[in-house]
Amino acid sequence: MKAILILLTIYFLTLSAEAQTTISGKISDQKGARMPGANILIKGTYDGTSSDANGNFKFETSETGKHIVVFQALGYKPQEREIEFSGQPLSFGISLAESINVLTAVTITAGAMEASDTKKAVVLKPLDIVTTSGAMGNITAALLTLPGTSTVGNDGRLFVRGGDASETSIFIDGLQVGNAYGSTATNVPTRNRFSPNLFKGSFFSTGGYSAEYGQALSSALALNTLDLPLRNQGDLSIMSLGGGYTQTLVKDNNALTATANYYNLAPYQSLVNQKFDWEKSPSSWDTEVSLRHKLGKTGFLKAYAHTEGSNMTIWQKVAGESRRGDRVHINNRYSYGNLSFRQSGKNDWFFYGGLAYSHNRDAINLNYVPVRQINQLGHAKIVAVKDFSPQFSLKNGIEYYLKSYSEELVDNQLKRSITDNQLNHFIETDYYFSNRLIFRGGLRSGYSTASKQFWMDPRISLAYKLNNQGQFSIAAGKFHQLPDEKLRVLQNNLKNAEASHYILNYFIVNNNRTFRAEAFYKTYTNLSTYNGTDLAPVNIIQNGSGYARGADIFYRDKTSFKNTDFWVSYSFVDSKRQYSVYETKVQPSFAPKHNGSVVVKHFVSALKSQLGTSWSWNNGYTYNDPNLAGEMQRKTKAYSDLSISWSYLPRPNMILHIACSNILGRNNVFGYKYAAQPDDAGSFSRIPVGQGASRMLFAGLFITLSRDKNANQLNNL
Amino acid sequence: MKNLLLSMALFLFSAVSIFAQDSPYQKAMKKEIAKLNDADSLSKYQQSANAFARISQLNPNEWQPYYYNALAYVYQGLDNSLDLNKKDEVLAKAEELIKKAEAISPENSEIVTLEGFKIMAEVSADPASRGQSMSGAVLTTFGKAMKMDPQNPRASLLMGQMEFGMAKFFKSGTEKACGLVKQSQAIFAAQDDEALKAKLAPTWGRPLAEKSAKACQ
Repeated sequence: MKAILILLTIYFLTLSAEAQTTISGKISDQKGARMPGANILIKGTYDGTSSDANGNFKFETSETGKHIVVFQALGYKPQEREIEFSGQPLSFGISLAESINVLTAVTITAGAMEASDTKKAVVLKPLDIVTTSGAMGNITAALLTLPGTSTVGNDGRLFVRGGDASETSIFIDGLQVGNAYGSTATNVPTRNRFSPNLFKGSFFSTGGYSAEYGQALSSALALNTLDLPLRNQGDLSIMSLGGGYTQTLVKDNNALTATANYYNLAPYQSLVNQKFDWEKSPSSWDTEVSLRHKLGKTGFLKAYAHTEGSNMTIWQKVAGESRRGDRVHINNRYSYGNLSFRQSGKNDWFFYGGLAYSHNRDAINLNYVPVRQINQLGHAKIVAVKDFSPQFSLKNGIEYYLKSYSEELVDNQLKRSITDNQLNHFIETDYYFSNRLIFRGGLRSGYSTASKQFWMDPRISLAYKLNNQGQFSIAAGKFHQLPDEKLRVLQNNLKNAEASHYILNYFIVNNNRTFRAEAFYKTYTNLSTYNGTDLAPVNIIQNGSGYARGADIFYRDKTSFKNTDFWVSYSFVDSKRQYSVYETKVQPSFAPKHNGSVVVKHFVSALKSQLGTSWSWNNGYTYNDPNLAGEMQRKTKAYSDLSISWSYLPRPNMILHIACSNILGRNNVFGYKYAAQPDDAGSFSRIPVGQGASRMLFAGLFITLSRDKNANQLNNL
Repeated sequence: MKNLLLSMALFLFSAVSIFAQDSPYQKAMKKEIAKLNDADSLSKYQQSANAFARISQLNPNEWQPYYYNALAYVYQGLDNSLDLNKKDEVLAKAEELIKKAEAISPENSEIVTLEGFKIMAEVSADPASRGQSMSGAVLTTFGKAMKMDPQNPRASLLMGQMEFGMAKFFKSGTEKACGLVKQSQAIFAAQDDEALKAKLAPTWGRPLAEKSAKACQ
């Protein structure tokens, strides 16, 4: 009985009689500023508290012996101290160091323009690409409203800072896309084959880009496909140019999307007067299937297949001849497949990569002479990224490319071809000195079996963030690219051309206003030059050279005017190069000196409408006039295109979109074609290279069918 | 003697069983949940977040501490005195905690609702540039939560709020939105708060439901 009583006494004593230790102190950041809301706790216990408005804290604990006290705050590296509790009051002065916060830390913006919903240093949202007036659902057209680009109206592809269109490479989920643009006749503009609503974001670099990308002298465009769609839905589009249907099925961690579209310009072109002489208006069909599977928490496995076909027949006037002109018929078949994955491993490893293959076949009939051209591009890539610490990460990748091209004069059974195997390796490191200063250094190396050449491209960039959220970045690097396949097929062992980029960039985003200014200098060496013509080059040599220098600015504002979002960009490019058939350094036709664009989107809620307009301008394209001495002596009048669009949402799941390009009907001229021989008076006659029609009108109705009545196709405009 | 021993044993047993009903974990949780329900300022939300963080380092296999920790950060993300970067920072922290809760308790309607609430806070941090692209995700997430548990008053309430905003935007009827708010009010009225509190289950949202119902009238 006594024993029990004693036991009981001990039982209660241990509950009540404990030594109390008072712990107090002050938390500050590295600059000594007081830090409220920090968490102070004793590991393995419930004891702890938060710092007050002055960074002070105080609490008591009944623990005794050795314990670890943890000091932590959001955005700072936690600190731990091993302490012995003995009943004596303890006091701490703790200064916490900032941790690297990828959300707000400095980012490298030199040369880069990103479209993303999740990142901060972006110029566009993915949706902007589809809601930009004048773009008409063409990714390329939307990017042409950004600084550093030039609109070349008779081509339609991306021209970046004095570079030709082949100097931009396009990637989907990190894998290169061959023949990303539809096949077309000379001077008939093309479009990007891929619908913008496949992508959740894009990364467009106008220079100085990562060692991850190569074989592009000027620019890289990386498009990232959507992860899991939100819901099951069907998307129906009925357009003045055709129609299509997309079905999306989502279940758990899997999604399937299947799309089919058909376009035919014939009905439209029969109603609206055309300047081009079409025998058969362009028509095309495409289908695509995309499968996505979520791997674990962050990983993804994606398969994507796209196939399409198109047809057109056009007559093109020849200068100095009175006949109807040259008849060009193009039948194109194109397929692209992409299998990609990304997955995080243990110990801060991250892996991604995949396989891609594209096949493009053009059956061309030039004045009834059949020509057959086949391009193939295979790309395999695997990348491992290791985060050694929040400050320091290292990326290592290996790539293999198979590139082949053949052209055949079908009747004569004359065929020539080139096949090239390229092996590339790249290594790149990101090092954050602090949240304000980041360094990126990379080295890309490659070998081509056709050119029997090995090359190395070192690249570096550095970015520093100022107090006011603005930041400066610099980038420099070397870039190699093998000549166009149409030259390589004539001379299989042509070597790389080489470019060097130097970029200085200032970028600031604040309160929905973005300002970006960039200056650049780019040199070219080993450009291909030849005699003859572009279509029939002879004596190809590779000692052409050139430069491009200039500056561009971009300003975007979503807040100054109510319900209005607008951006303005201006690019100045001073570029000269000796290339192609030119014997001296000339300003290329695709590099107008002054380029500008303005895009405005205004939402009128009373009309449930978004009104948009965009204006694109440059001061004219150079061209060569054989009647004058010298080369590329003349320049066309200024180019200008004002487009408008109206998107009306009568119901959340229905959008009516109407757009018109070149509303003012300006007769833009992109250059002149001259006769091969002088006429009787001894002068070369010419015809202008112009637009297919004064204006392009577009109307489309987009309906989303799903259980969720609010789903819409806003991203399909 | 025997009686004494028996009563002793009973006494000790009852003392232990009281502890079993309310472990230090439950005690701490109940206290902090009550505090979070009453919190009305940034500093109080941060204190709550810290308190739940302390609880979860001791109880890393319980989803509730992560859940309330995340909720305390979502509340901060809705505070208009913070700038966009700060809002995004706290909401990113909330996301991290929601992921942890979800890993412990998958297919939990309350956690999915909180995820939707977090995305809603992200949208309202920058509606001009996020509204179009992210509203869909908010609706789908609440829809998912309602499907998992039609009796979750927070899912139907927040869905109702979202629908109310959309209806105003499209100038269409608010019947559906207000129906959802009424539905959530009815569930709130029928629920046994004390039983839920004993389970550390979420009970928040009642005042918001009343406020929303007033907007519907």
